[in-house]
Amino acid sequence: MLYFLVAVAALTQQDTDTSFAVRQGQRLEVNDFGGQVVIKAWRQNSIRIRASHGSRDYIRVSNVGSTISIGASSRHGPAMVDYELLVPAWLPLTVSGSPSAEVNIEGTDAEVSVETVEGSIRVVGGKGNVSLHTVEGSVELEGASGHIELNSVDGSIDVRDVSGEITAESVDGSITLLDIESADVDASSVDGSIEYDGTIKDGGRYRFQSHDGSVSVSVPERANVTVYVATFSGDFDSCFPVTLKDKTKHRFSFTLGTGTARLELESFDGSINLCRPGQIHQRED
Amino acid sequence: MNDQWTDRLSEYLDDELDQPQRAALEAHLAGCEVCTQTLAELRRVVGRAQGLDDRPPATDLWPGIATRIGVSTDDLARRRVRRISFTVPQLIAASIVLVAASAGVVWMLSRQEPVSAPVTSVPSSQARPVKWVARADSSGDHAVEELRLALQEGQRAGRLSPITVRKIEHSLAVIDSAIAEARRALEVDPNSDYLNSHLADTMRLKMQFLREANRIATAQT
Repeated sequence: MLYFLVAVAALTQQDTDTSFAVRQGQRLEVNDFGGQVVIKAWRQNSIRIRASHGSRDYIRVSNVGSTISIGASSRHGPAMVDYELLVPAWLPLTVSGSPSAEVNIEGTDAEVSVETVEGSIRVVGGKGNVSLHTVEGSVELEGASGHIELNSVDGSIDVRDVSGEITAESVDGSITLLDIESADVDASSVDGSIEYDGTIKDGGRYRFQSHDGSVSVSVPERANVTVYVATFSGDFDSCFPVTLKDKTKHRFSFTLGTGTARLELESFDGSINLCRPGQIHQRED
Repeated sequence: MNDQWTDRLSEYLDDELDQPQRAALEAHLAGCEVCTQTLAELRRVVGRAQGLDDRPPATDLWPGIATRIGVSTDDLARRRVRRISFTVPQLIAASIVLVAASAGVVWMLSRQEPVSAPVTSVPSSQARPVKWVARADSSGDHAVEELRLALQEGQRAGRLSPITVRKIEHSLAVIDSAIAEARRALEVDPNSDYLNSHLADTMRLKMQFLREANRIATAQT
């Protein structure tokens, strides 16, 4: 086990600046109690740590097995540090920003896992398993591909230009999914609205469910999809004509094209809106 | 609710896991209320199954039947010594099939088109609450209490701010409110498959939320 302390005590606020080489197969874990964690990809096979921290705080870097860990501590326990890390784009990232760190990652081309309590999460890039969880903060993801899992209890979830399997869950926040390329999307919120503008692929499965919020989904003109709508006391509206079938008290369905994809839209007492791509915002405006 | 360990509980009970898997599952059990309760239920099922007495019937009808259909007494003897036993996975599989079959029958009956025969309707106020709801409530109450304690401890230890605790409690109230609304709707329309599945989904969400919130509240920095 490689273990070293990068910073030593000084009398005032201190900056740490250090670099070390990494190799393929390694992964990076960052733990920050509070502050900001900014991680940017660069072309070099090394990690550069720039950290701003209290004079009595220590930045710890360890290498156990294939995992490089970066964290900080002080004599009184966990330390709040502002990090700016430059890392290779291929380096898988795990960031724990609990309880109050904010995390901003840009340009990664690898797996990403981030968890915070109070802080927001913003990630541009990511490939493979991308998992972003927060309690109070918002989640923003852009330009990722792979197996995407997003969760915010109280904040909004905004996803743009993402491909792959997507699962997004929120209790009290809205979920917005734009420019999505996927055959498997599942988004649910208890009290927030849900908006989806993306592909409806043949044979794909799409499920959007809210209790109190509205559900707005765009369906491309040539989509082959069977749409299942369920609501208790909400409304349904479509920008284009549809022929309802299998109508019961709380459910109905209709088929567009050959109907091979499955689209489930549920809102207990919110409105459900179907439009063509790009029209949802126009209607809301 | 399901996690990667739920499906391994029966193997654990049957002592079919190797030592590292067993240790990992036991570590998981220490922090997972749902799996702990599921395991306890499995243990009760196995205990009851093992406690069943293989008693002969008070009145054995077989000799008379055997005489009438011409079966020999050897067959009778073989029948008496035969004993069927099931492993835990078989019992679980059987129970799942039974539950699924029962649910399927109920679902099909509830979806049947109206027929010309007279139908007696049950007033909604007399509709009995579904048993799984009551059981989920019981598990939920316990998990809520655990979460409350975990939040207190998290706040005391400085892991959670008072604002975070309030937001978690608020979110829990939002979910509970959604569950209450779904329940009221179900009282009006107890046969609605949408309302049943919506209530189940919201309760699943609540359990997942409780587990996740509990994990965050107790996480070590």
